Amino acid sequence: MSEDPTRPEAPEGAPPAIELCGVAKRYSGGVSALHEVNLVVGSGEFVALSGPSGCGKSTLLHLVAALDRPSEGVVKVNGRDLAHIHDLSRFRRLEVGLVFQLHNLLPRISVVANVEIAMYGTHRNGAARRARARELLDEVDLAGQAERLPTQLSGGERQRVAIARSLANDPSVLLADEPTGNLDAEAARRMMALFGRLRDRGMTVLLVTHDLGLAAMADRLERIEAGRIVTAGRPERPDEAGAARRALARDSAP
Amino acid sequence: MPYLVFALRDLLAKKGRTIGLAAAVAFAVMTVVTLAVTSSGLEQSAAAVISVGKADFTVAQKNAADLLSSTIDRGEQARVAQVPGVASTVGVLLEIQQVNADNPAFVEIGIAPQDLSRFGVTVLAGHAYSPTARSECMLGWRAASNLGLHVGSQFKANGTINTVTGIYSTGNSFGDAAAMFPLPAVQGYNRVPGIASLVFVKVDHGANIASVERTITYRLPELTTIRTAAQFGRADRNLIYLKAAVTGSTILAVLIGAIIVGNTMLLSVFERTRELGLLRAIGWSRRRIVGLIMTEGFAVAFAGTAVGVGLSFLVSSALERVPALVGILHTNFTPGAFWRALLTALAMSLIGGLYPAVRAAFLAPLKALSYE
Ligand SMILES: Nc1ncnc2c1ncn2[C@@H]1O[C@H](COP(=O)(O)OP(=O)(O)OP(=O)(O)O)[C@@H](O)[C@H]1O
Ligand SMILES: [Mg+2]
Repeated sequence: MSEDPTRPEAPEGAPPAIELCGVAKRYSGGVSALHEVNLVVGSGEFVALSGPSGCGKSTLLHLVAALDRPSEGVVKVNGRDLAHIHDLSRFRRLEVGLVFQLHNLLPRISVVANVEIAMYGTHRNGAARRARARELLDEVDLAGQAERLPTQLSGGERQRVAIARSLANDPSVLLADEPTGNLDAEAARRMMALFGRLRDRGMTVLLVTHDLGLAAMADRLERIEAGRIVTAGRPERPDEAGAARRALARDSAP
Repeated sequence: MPYLVFALRDLLAKKGRTIGLAAAVAFAVMTVVTLAVTSSGLEQSAAAVISVGKADFTVAQKNAADLLSSTIDRGEQARVAQVPGVASTVGVLLEIQQVNADNPAFVEIGIAPQDLSRFGVTVLAGHAYSPTARSECMLGWRAASNLGLHVGSQFKANGTINTVTGIYSTGNSFGDAAAMFPLPAVQGYNRVPGIASLVFVKVDHGANIASVERTITYRLPELTTIRTAAQFGRADRNLIYLKAAVTGSTILAVLIGAIIVGNTMLLSVFERTRELGLLRAIGWSRRRIVGLIMTEGFAVAFAGTAVGVGLSFLVSSALERVPALVGILHTNFTPGAFWRALLTALAMSLIGGLYPAVRAAFLAPLKALSYE
């Protein structure tokens, strides 16, 4: 997929979309969730992040989404150090889209309204918001469910609503925390294909998944274990790739 | 979904709470507006007396408890008349009497018959009383029609039966609802010979009214001059105290209302912690969150204002009919009263809503999202 000639190339010399440098995260209870994490995701790359439960995947995504600050190290998105961004709300609204591990839709408003709430206060007026929300729902195959309440949808459908919402303001970076978690194999593959299409349009996608079969649909796989990145799938460093592949095999074993 | 629908959906979803909150606001608004319109009615009817005389200004005793206890003796009246620029003066004695159960505060005006025309009185029927008569009077046309009396009727007041010699009009509802007697009759009955309550002054043509006023208060420092209703407090301490009490009660009502609004909104913010965390996480700014919560507060406040003004209308017109208050309490619904209502509601929602709104804005998104 990475050789697809139609995919827009990142401009020469553009900074990586996501860059973590020596990042550590310690929670107030003394839990140390990440240690010395270095990670670079190029602009327009589709990277899967995997690892055992509790290894720090959600923590990493939250740092990139500027929902939390690292205890140590630097997190950069599109070359900008998040620690130096004054208007973090604007950053969260326009530059990154985040799909949470738990659905986090508002239960009492319709599906289409759930997508619209990301667009209040942007340049779009009411009609444009609605049109955009419907277009996004169409993109995730939920056009027919627009007026339903989230509680009337299946888990996978809710995840797709959350994806539609995260795309509302055309972010350059999409972060998705286990969006395939409660999907059957076929639905999960369709969702991965959706992320592939987004990547083809130039979006950078960082996706957390436990499912290594699905992870293989990404351009690259990064693996975290106990808060540390264990590099995988980097063809230019075959020795490490081998180790990671063995780790993958361990994970995939029944 | 239009933004306002989104912002107000929680109010609609929790109707009981919204109604309770609006009722609290309405109650505070009602209190504030009723106090305002009745005190302004009192001020207006008290001040009406000075506009009866069609004078350039009125002289009264400085810092009298109220206008009816203002006393100006004969010597002072003479000295006022001697001030350069004063063309004419009319001394008038005001007293209040209970005429019957329906008229517990009937106004009597003691005035010499020769001053009537200068005072702006038109005799509509019959004729004026004689200057020294002890049992003659004229009735304002409103008073006559309220009491069912006419020229030649007997009117019991000042301890005697008076013959109504005429019906007059002053063109002012306060004056037209009163009765006029020869000045010595009212002075004699109330044992204040030579005393007037107010002296109405007309200045010479072309004279500077303000400088005449200044000369009077300079020469007679125990007196004050009044030209507008707003200056009325100079001769009516009670009105000043009343206004202070109204201001105090207004502040209290606003504070109590604000506490209720704040409490309820804080509860609603806590209940919606997860939702607010989500909105922050997807990029809503703090200002927008404050706006969201304040929009709710303002919406409730304005609903409460509408209801509160309506209630105040009902309550004050009911108060006007309480027998002990008839003729004393007049409500005066001015545009100012409506502004005051709006301002009250605005103040309540601002003071009450600000803390919950700021609390909501400063929720840490991740923590809020995992809030149970
Ligand atoms: N707010 C918090 N306070 C304290 N500790 C936390 C907090 N959030 C996460 N942790 C801890 O940090 C570690 C990493 O958590 P994280 O949610 O990033 O794991 P994860 O890789 O996403 O796991 P999963 O696959 O189960 O979602 C865990 O040990 C977790 O208990
Ligand atoms: Mg997680």
